[in-house]
Amino acid sequence: MPSNAPTPLVHVIDDDTALLRAVTFLLESASWNVAPYASAEAFLAGWKDQAAPGCLLLDIRMPMMSGLELQRVLTEREIALPVIFMTGHGDVSMAVEAMKLGARDFIEKPFKDQTLLDAVAMAVRCSVARHEEDSVQRALCERLEKLSPRERQVARLLAEGLPNKTIGQRLEISERTVQVHRLHLMDKLEIHSAAELSQMMLRANPSNNS
Amino acid sequence: MRFRLLFFTALSLLATLASWVASAAPAATPTAAPATVRIGVLAYRGPDEAVASWGELPDRLSAAIPGRRFVMQAYGGQELREAVRKGELDFVLANSSLYVDLAAQFGIQRIATVMLPEALSSERAIGSAILTLASRDDLTRLTDLRGMRIAVGAPDAFGGYLVAAREFQRVGVDLEVGDARLLFTGFPMRLAVEAVRTGQADAAIVRTCLLEQLSATGLLKSEEFKVVAQRPIAGFPCAASTPLYPDWPFAAARGVDRHLAKSVAMALLSLPPSASGLAWDVPADYQSVNELYRELMLGPYIDLRTSTFRGVLRNYRLFILAALLLFIGIVVHAIRVEYLVKRRTIELRAAQAQARDLQWKTEHMARLSVLGEMSGTLAHELNQPLTTIAAYAQGMERRCAAGKADSTLITETLREIFAQTERAAGVIRRVRNFAGKRAAAREVRPIADTVREAIGLLSTLMPDLPPVVMDDRLPPRTLVEADHLQLQQVLLNLMKNAAEAMRELPRFRRTINVALYRVDGSLTIAVSDHGPQVTAKTLTRFFEPFFTTKFDGLGLGLAICKSIIEAHGGRLQVELRDPPPGLVFHFNLPDKRNAK
Repeated sequence: MPSNAPTPLVHVIDDDTALLRAVTFLLESASWNVAPYASAEAFLAGWKDQAAPGCLLLDIRMPMMSGLELQRVLTEREIALPVIFMTGHGDVSMAVEAMKLGARDFIEKPFKDQTLLDAVAMAVRCSVARHEEDSVQRALCERLEKLSPRERQVARLLAEGLPNKTIGQRLEISERTVQVHRLHLMDKLEIHSAAELSQMMLRANPSNNS
Repeated sequence: MRFRLLFFTALSLLATLASWVASAAPAATPTAAPATVRIGVLAYRGPDEAVASWGELPDRLSAAIPGRRFVMQAYGGQELREAVRKGELDFVLANSSLYVDLAAQFGIQRIATVMLPEALSSERAIGSAILTLASRDDLTRLTDLRGMRIAVGAPDAFGGYLVAAREFQRVGVDLEVGDARLLFTGFPMRLAVEAVRTGQADAAIVRTCLLEQLSATGLLKSEEFKVVAQRPIAGFPCAASTPLYPDWPFAAARGVDRHLAKSVAMALLSLPPSASGLAWDVPADYQSVNELYRELMLGPYIDLRTSTFRGVLRNYRLFILAALLLFIGIVVHAIRVEYLVKRRTIELRAAQAQARDLQWKTEHMARLSVLGEMSGTLAHELNQPLTTIAAYAQGMERRCAAGKADSTLITETLREIFAQTERAAGVIRRVRNFAGKRAAAREVRPIADTVREAIGLLSTLMPDLPPVVMDDRLPPRTLVEADHLQLQQVLLNLMKNAAEAMRELPRFRRTINVALYRVDGSLTIAVSDHGPQVTAKTLTRFFEPFFTTKFDGLGLGLAICKSIIEAHGGRLQVELRDPPPGLVFHFNLPDKRNAK
């Protein structure tokens, strides 16, 4: 957890109020400050510039302003808040577009708590780095942003020290595919070993340690 | 007959007769004497000549029978008939044919028959001679005259037409309906012979002995002519083409005093032969004339024309032919219409079948696409409560671990979780309701047809479907009672899975096998592929709902298939293909029907 003020804030937007409450409950369980909104409009209405660092967790499907539309508005208004999309089954094409528009990450529903918390922690870390103008951390975040969602999944598991075979089984992909992802992500992050990666992830997401 | 009249006129002395005629003509108006006896005579050439030829007869009779005065009146055939009908006559002198007709119709009774010197007997006295030029070598038999021009005195002449007509008819030449072209020359009968000589006709029908008489009087040369179909008649001095018939009878009208009739008969028989050799003999048998009439269907037998098949056929030949043609036309038309109707019916049925087929396919595609759409919606609908539940559960776990959970929080959270499970259950219920909308429709039909249709359907839905090899080891037309639409859904699913499992293989190695066979009295259908090898553990999970190995799969297909097959009392199973690689999905259906 970042200790110096201002305290990072996780903004959650979902039109499904039950899910919104549940995600809020989960994030609060991990000691995050959470600001829930039932719509993108409600979020925009409450937004103040110079706000605290943090991240934005939102459902990609929403009835009024969709997640993607909100992301465009954020870009226009130069709101530099990392965006994590929550997607449903079959929303892959939307998620890909979201990533192209500069979304930081996306997690598929239903998700494991750790997956959500990892994604949030990493996003917040980058946001804080930008805020505090920590050049090293920022560079690290920027490099991590280049990874595809799958590569990021593989990277997380690699950082845990798991072998390729186990990663494959967990992600239900072949060992060979894991191998390919591994080569790509090492290349993008400009590192050469799993140990380096482990270190890097640790630095990017120190909350993981707690 | 007319020739006889000719003969008489040629030979008789006429002075006395002429004077009698002069007095007889006014006698047509009755003289009121009760002793007057009226004789009607048939005349061809006008009353004067007829009466003249018989001239001496009334006088002779008057002389022979005291107290009676015989007068003679000449009539045409129709007039004579009228006179007889009205009872105006006591006696009738007519040719054989008219006599037979009148005898049948009005009951006149013959009392004597004319006997000419040449006659063999009163029954065999007169026939027909068919003359042609001696140079006509092409005409020797009656049948040679078919289609020829034949000169004839009149259609009711006896020796001059009817007798010959009977003979023609016997050899199949029907003069009446135009088998030859008849040329009616009128009387005297010599005119018919003239027509042959001048080339107007190919042949002429005349009474027997006319040729000989004309030759004797120098009116023609008999060498110029020959008689067609001449038949030798022993003792008969003239050439004849026909048998001989009786000559003219002298007949008493019905109701004539019997004594008078008897007296007349006796007087006739006792008369000495006339100058020409004419004598009277006992009445002949006219049966042969009757038969002639019957064959020609004339006179008393004219009714035969409308009462017998032969008569109708003969009389209405043209109509019958036309009717037959019309009938054949109608039949041909009917057959053609029938054929067209059949062909169009077949075409229509084919079109209907095609339309039904198309509709069926459309419905199926609609179902598949609905399933596709539903899978997205369903996933989202279920994802929301599941995610919510997971988040609550995991959040609670973390709080418990951190010792930050109190009972109020736990209760509230559990309530939230329960509400979400309710929500998920509601989604499932709605899906089930949707799926349950179609009533199960069991029908009995050949299972092979169902399989074939499923293959056909899938190949239209999946253009890149690998070849499907169907191996039907069941007896032909093995029937199964099932919801065949559901079975097809199962088959579609299995084949689609098989096709997708082999997507990575080189094209030539992709084949789907569908086998139909029987194991232990239950019918089995197996769908096998050559897809990638799967672990035994994965194998056991195949039928779990929402288990999928596909990127875009929902994981419901096999679970649904399994429930369909179980609803039919069978089992859906999967095993590794032997030899590997690949999988074999097979299901059995209890076939109660075929077992019996």
